[in-house]
Amino acid sequence: MLSIQNLHAAYGKVQVLHGISLEVPKGKLVTLIGSNGAGKTTTMRAISGMIKPTSGSVSLGGRDITGLESHKIARSGLAHSPEGRRVFPTMSVTDNLLLGAFPRFTGARPKGEIKLDLEKALELFPRLKERQHQLAGTLSGGEQQMLAMARAVMLNPEVILLDEPSMGLAPILVEEVFRIITRLKSEGVTMLLVEQFAAAALNVADYGYVLENGSISVHGPADSLKTDPKVVAAYLGGSH
Amino acid sequence: MNKKIFLASVIGIVALIAFPMLIPNPYYIHLAETILIYSILLFGLDIVVGYTGQVSLGHAGLFGIGAYITGVLVFKLGVPWPLAMLGSIGGAALFGAILALPALRVTGPYLAMVTLAFGTIIQILINEMTFITEGPLGIKIAKPVIFGTKLTEVGYFYLVAALMVVSLIVVHRILKSNLGRAFEALRDSPIASDCMGVSVYRYKVYAFVISAGLAGLAGSLFAYSEEYISPQTFNFELTILFLLAVIMGGRKTRSGALIGALIVVMLPSLLADIDLFRKIASFFAVVAIASAVYLLARGKSTPRKVLVPVVATVAMAFFSYRLENMTDWRLTIFGLMTLFVVYYLQDGIVGFFRSLLGRGAVHDASLAVAAGNADAFAGATAGKGVAGAPLLKVDQVLMQFGGLKALNRVDLNVGEKTVHGLIGPNGSGKSTMMNVLTGIYQPTDGKVAFDGVAITGRTPSQIALGGVARTFQNVQLFGEMTATENVLVGLHHTFHSNVADVMLQTPRYRREEKAARQRAASILEFVGLADLANEEARNLPYGKQRLLEIGRALGLNPRLLLLDEPAAGLTAPDIKELMAIIRKIRDHGITIILIEHHMDVVMAICDTVTVLDFGQKIAEGTPAKVQSDPKVIEAYLGGSADSLGDSTPAAAH
Repeated sequence: MLSIQNLHAAYGKVQVLHGISLEVPKGKLVTLIGSNGAGKTTTMRAISGMIKPTSGSVSLGGRDITGLESHKIARSGLAHSPEGRRVFPTMSVTDNLLLGAFPRFTGARPKGEIKLDLEKALELFPRLKERQHQLAGTLSGGEQQMLAMARAVMLNPEVILLDEPSMGLAPILVEEVFRIITRLKSEGVTMLLVEQFAAAALNVADYGYVLENGSISVHGPADSLKTDPKVVAAYLGGSH
Repeated sequence: MNKKIFLASVIGIVALIAFPMLIPNPYYIHLAETILIYSILLFGLDIVVGYTGQVSLGHAGLFGIGAYITGVLVFKLGVPWPLAMLGSIGGAALFGAILALPALRVTGPYLAMVTLAFGTIIQILINEMTFITEGPLGIKIAKPVIFGTKLTEVGYFYLVAALMVVSLIVVHRILKSNLGRAFEALRDSPIASDCMGVSVYRYKVYAFVISAGLAGLAGSLFAYSEEYISPQTFNFELTILFLLAVIMGGRKTRSGALIGALIVVMLPSLLADIDLFRKIASFFAVVAIASAVYLLARGKSTPRKVLVPVVATVAMAFFSYRLENMTDWRLTIFGLMTLFVVYYLQDGIVGFFRSLLGRGAVHDASLAVAAGNADAFAGATAGKGVAGAPLLKVDQVLMQFGGLKALNRVDLNVGEKTVHGLIGPNGSGKSTMMNVLTGIYQPTDGKVAFDGVAITGRTPSQIALGGVARTFQNVQLFGEMTATENVLVGLHHTFHSNVADVMLQTPRYRREEKAARQRAASILEFVGLADLANEEARNLPYGKQRLLEIGRALGLNPRLLLLDEPAAGLTAPDIKELMAIIRKIRDHGITIILIEHHMDVVMAICDTVTVLDFGQKIAEGTPAKVQSDPKVIEAYLGGSADSLGDSTPAAAH
């Protein structure tokens, strides 16, 4: 579904990604793990067009989307739930969700499929349903994270990129986030996940890539990565 | 001093001395004089615009005040020139302080409106208060008299040049000192400045006062230079020109101010001569076409990107041959230049050449010092109390926002030299508690006592200076400053030098600056950022930014350190590093309050843990006790309680 070939990216003169290739097959959940500054977020941003890759290609469902502007990439069916939530704070929860479906609007009001999707999203995220008329800025950190994920779902995309969905959340909410990811997966949504909790990410994922200093060092089925001694030592080991 | 800078200064001074000898034409001497006078004002305007990041459209007004104070003092009272200049500096500085008042309340477009109104009012007052200012008739004054002889145009040029050089040195010294760092800090994050003991209130006023004093000096020199001043000189157009000069030259540089002054003074003269303008417009069109062709041939640009500049310059050249007279089009040309600068040269001409030469903003690495034997914890007041003795006492604190009780009568007792964990669901009031403790919020009711003294009602900077330092959940670094400079802001309280010390670079100031830089180096070494010391904070990876925040907080010599989610977004190996650092800080006798969602971190290093939910305390005790509390499991830990101690709280699937 999503295929990345030899992707390079840089911030100014600092090269961050040195040729990354990865595949996210349809209906699968793929996770990208690595330490801080390895380039996980940069990879996500290069895929969704927030930064322009310096070389390499990104294709979505066979169409080349390399270097397109990010709103065009979103319209072509790729939703990005960015690191640090980035909800629209002065708009209501419902309006945030409807904006997620903006490219699908045909008239001024939500109708038909979009309306159904809104109901479905609110049902998937019951906490948001309770607060649908509240301004997004007044939500707690955990609720804002749910909203960012729900907004990505509202695009009805072919692929969702989830960047650090559990960052800064209470343990009980981290669990809920993972429950939702599992549920989306069971509904056949294709996802690429970046997570600080690498072990938990490998538990829900089908396949994993390990990013080290801007290149892929190891990749394989999630189950085999979980037991790879090198991965365990560097990324999964207890933090004591 | 850097060799290159020394060479440039010598060339600059020689050029200033030689100028009237090489070009004795009084018209050009007067023009050069005006450039130097504008430069003085622009040095000051850059303090406000470039360093503190405030927009001021009031500087033409301040310039007018300076000019008119000199004009009136000389015309009505016959005051000698040094007194007139001092009067202008002092008077304008006073108005600068008044102008700073709105800047303390509003920013951005609102501040622009307020300062614009200020400038307009000043111009109208000058026009209407005929009993002092002679109104629209204007005031005539003669060149200053030194030792009984009236200065010639050349003599006055040298006076202006000398004062420009003095202003340049003074401004440069101020901006490279702890004052300059304070100005930059309040631009990048006012809230963090306050929490580092750098009062935003005070330093904004300082910045406006210094800036206005320079505008006053420039105004005074302008009055003598023109020998005649009238209200319409100090109009809106002049204010726009000043701002254009700072932005076009390049903010945060003195060379930018000089280049900006050169451009805005020469511009009207260039536009007055249609033949010259045609030549210049054609020249730019040729340059634009040539560079577009070059960039396209090298594949470095797309036709779409080069289209606008090429069409614009060619059209400009074309129109210059259709026009008879330029004067009516002056404002249009200014407008187009502003658009061009804002769009293509965001860092100004100086910034553009720097990036062309492959250099970023100058962060003088030659200032770097080795840590020497400076101790990261030198002079720390921590460690003097008895372990476990009460250090912080929060008594029945209520924090109400409208109908929402973010904190509902919470008690919290933190013992000296302990690590106190504060956990709870998102939105349970943990960060609100941090903001109450550091004075950002004033609690609706209740008391906070630190080391036996009530601190409720104190400002954040007072509390910070009292020994309470913090980090922020959403990192609040001073982005455009280097790692070292960020820590130096934390060390601001170690400076006792005043502005005069800074201007004269007295031994006291030099000693303090050297000691602070050594401390900063040792702190950076302590948090493991020594090799990134000269990197701008905004370019550091996220995990390093969190460590830098801790380093900056240590600069305050805190007795109590508040860490707000230091491990958020960090992976297992980084967390390990972070925990080692937190332990070392505790071993130096600093008391820590830790907000954290990574339960393995909380369990491993906290002595006591308090749990908040919906603004209320639901549990307190040792980590083990809290962890098994059913209320905590239900509200916060969830089913993962059995997998604690592992870095995978959701591994229970």
